[in-house]
Amino acid sequence: MPSVSREEMETKLKSVITEAAESNTLDKIDWKTLPLPQVMIQNERNRVLASPNVSAWSAVPSQKHGSTPDALSKKRKSAEYNGDANGCPPWRQTNNHNTFEDRITYSPTDKRQRVDHKNSSKFKANLELRRKRFEDTRYGSSPSSRDDSPAPANQGPVVGRCQNLEKNYFRLTSAPNPDTVRPLSVLVKTLDLLKKKWKKDNNYGYICDQFKSLRQDLTVQHIRNEFTVSVYEIHARIALEKGDLGEYNQCQTQLRALYAQQLGGHPTEFKAYRILYFIHTRNWTAMNDALADLTPADKRDLAVKHALDVRSALALGNYHRFFQLYLDTPNMGAYLMDMFVDRERLSALAAICKAYKPDVKIRFITEELGFESDEQSARFILDNTSEDLLQEKDGAVRLLTGGRAGQLFEAAKADAHRIVDIKGQI
Amino acid sequence: MTSVFEDFEQGQRIGSGPRLAAALTPVAPAEYPERLQSFYRSSNAARLSPDLRYSLFQANGLKLPKQEQNAWIDIFSLYWTAIGEITRFSDAPSSASWVKVFNAWKDLVNMIIRGYTNFGLQAWTLPCLYVVGKYLRIFAMKADTELASQDSGFGDSFQDDITSEFEKSAKLEEAARIINRMFTLCLSDRAPIEESRKWGVYNTTNLLFKTYFKLNSVGLSKNLLRALNASSADLPDLEAFPKSDIVTFKYYIGVIHFLDENYAEAEQHLAYAWNMCHRNARKNRELILTYLIPCHLVTTHTLPSKTLLAPFPRLEHLYRPLSNCIMKGDLNGFDNAMSAGEEEFVKRRIYLPLERGRDIALRNLFRKVFIAGGFDEPKDGQPPVRRTRVPIAEFAAALRIGTHADDRSRVDIDEVECLLSNLIYKGLMKGYIARERGMVVLSKNNTAFPGTGV
Repeated sequence: MPSVSREEMETKLKSVITEAAESNTLDKIDWKTLPLPQVMIQNERNRVLASPNVSAWSAVPSQKHGSTPDALSKKRKSAEYNGDANGCPPWRQTNNHNTFEDRITYSPTDKRQRVDHKNSSKFKANLELRRKRFEDTRYGSSPSSRDDSPAPANQGPVVGRCQNLEKNYFRLTSAPNPDTVRPLSVLVKTLDLLKKKWKKDNNYGYICDQFKSLRQDLTVQHIRNEFTVSVYEIHARIALEKGDLGEYNQCQTQLRALYAQQLGGHPTEFKAYRILYFIHTRNWTAMNDALADLTPADKRDLAVKHALDVRSALALGNYHRFFQLYLDTPNMGAYLMDMFVDRERLSALAAICKAYKPDVKIRFITEELGFESDEQSARFILDNTSEDLLQEKDGAVRLLTGGRAGQLFEAAKADAHRIVDIKGQI
Repeated sequence: MTSVFEDFEQGQRIGSGPRLAAALTPVAPAEYPERLQSFYRSSNAARLSPDLRYSLFQANGLKLPKQEQNAWIDIFSLYWTAIGEITRFSDAPSSASWVKVFNAWKDLVNMIIRGYTNFGLQAWTLPCLYVVGKYLRIFAMKADTELASQDSGFGDSFQDDITSEFEKSAKLEEAARIINRMFTLCLSDRAPIEESRKWGVYNTTNLLFKTYFKLNSVGLSKNLLRALNASSADLPDLEAFPKSDIVTFKYYIGVIHFLDENYAEAEQHLAYAWNMCHRNARKNRELILTYLIPCHLVTTHTLPSKTLLAPFPRLEHLYRPLSNCIMKGDLNGFDNAMSAGEEEFVKRRIYLPLERGRDIALRNLFRKVFIAGGFDEPKDGQPPVRRTRVPIAEFAAALRIGTHADDRSRVDIDEVECLLSNLIYKGLMKGYIARERGMVVLSKNNTAFPGTGV
């Protein structure tokens, strides 16, 4: 074949054999029917030419291009990419098409190049496309792996073909492979399985991982319907139960977007959680947004109304009302309230110590601050201050109020609030 | 009625930044509505560069360093392209697109930034940067609206979760990143202060604040403040900057603190802005007051007077009903006024501080109880002393009236105590609760309700 030089042909042949040897397929490949190396090279070239939007030269990565920081970092992250720029097969290097990029010489300090591209997502997308085309041709060079090459990234949804119910979560670093993505019909079964497993084993590490891969499969296939909503809702509830606020917050953010599209689910339940969550993280800016999101119908809902009342009771320092609400929390809101109830107890105690004289019965504290027993409230006071604040008088344990007690609780309160400041930033 | 080129020439000759910036405005002045069209038609893509060289420099004999001259030609080439996209809206509406306008305008902004970093544009021309930045933000918002009407909501498929939240304002976010570079461009200039771009720091900061607020990511503003603080030693005093920049800057800082419920600090900054704001800038004064009034209510427990609000009917409407109820101690009226204005309050982000006004209303109600309690029997010719031991039941009765409680609803004594204890804790009342005796013991010597004369 005149267009393929002997040198190229030999290199190609060598690479095919090496690859086969490395993957232990030397004796499995039917060498008689395998195309000749010249034909392989020709095919590759044709494929490059035939693929839309690709001009031949851009399919060949230039050394220069591969060394831009952006491309490098992407490659490092990519699991599929197994070799750096210098690992190019030799035939690639000799087969010098003298690329456009090579001919233009930007000095590395020239801002022109960077300024133009840095903020253009389009450029990134192109880069990504180009990288994938590159992989296409690389993998294409060995017939045995031809099927493994990722589908051309056409930005459209993936259609999954995987039939396994379970799948571990991996963060995507390249376009998803349909063979490892489960279609909706499988995902529905997956959810059922996960629900059963959660009830039976209560293994959060496993469940969280599975739900993340489930969510990923939904996203890459652009599935956005009632099922999607229920997946996020269930994951959010499980995360709440386990106090995994980071994961819960991710689900919550997504749910907000999903509810905005009227896909069903339980919007008011989660709007209520959202308010409680922002009370916990004391994110007032976000709280304002959450309030602005509520419709008049939402506000009539029991759970939302409860959350709003909690918020307003705390805003006004009405601990009496707050703890009444705490003892009567709908749905799973109590998991969230548990996270800040102690903090609010300290605030209430600081106020009580300043307002009452000379003392109050421990019974009063137990009832006002929603403790389960006098022992529990006594324990709470001792844990946060010092023991001489509690005294027995006339057959009842009393909390000595006044200046010193006030200061101690004030300090404990400041402490508790500071800790949440850090947590809230997650 | 001046053309783009006249503005450019005059700006360069007299060294006036605003005049120069007028040449880069993408909006035709009222007295010359055809200005953009006429500029666009003055050349075509093939002859653009030589045409511009002639019109900007050769025709009027303007001399600039070669590098700078070329930069301006590049800038106006991109301006010409962007104007081409803009004029489509009147000339060929079917092919007009805000996304295209935004992209073209973005190229222009990037070129101007490069003009400063690489080609020696001088600091006095900064108004050009302001003007293109301002419109970059506007075009980005229009482009986002346009995209939203065609958007599928799914971004690139590399995300684990749906990303419609962010996609919604993709262009504005892009604009924010570019404006951020404008900010850095100004802040990091090390030229002597007389000719430094540092003078543009607050203008670009304000533009960025505006963008972040629109993006609902006020949190990002804090990074800016950190950057500003870090180099505050190299910056001239705040007073040395243009007043308009400072007023806006202080306003935003005030609102940022306000949103974090740091009302004391918010008040400081807002008051600064209020005092320095131009008296005829009614809209701005109204904005400042919108946040200053709630701050004042929380920090000093005072209400806006009729004279203060007279020039601002909208604010009068917003705040008067609440103020009246607070003054009278009418809790029921207060709650009604809060729910009546809730939508507006929440939208303006003033609901949370206003809600605290209930404490003041409650204080005023309880103060009435104290006054109605009259005086204790005077002892041996001493002046009469107010009765300072008030049964909790009396406060409970007041609360029944204040909340318009009917026969069936009971007022919970524990809750009354809780409200009292809060007022005492917050310093609105002085005294203590003696729980066993069901009494509140208030301070003597006219200090029971600090600041109210009794």
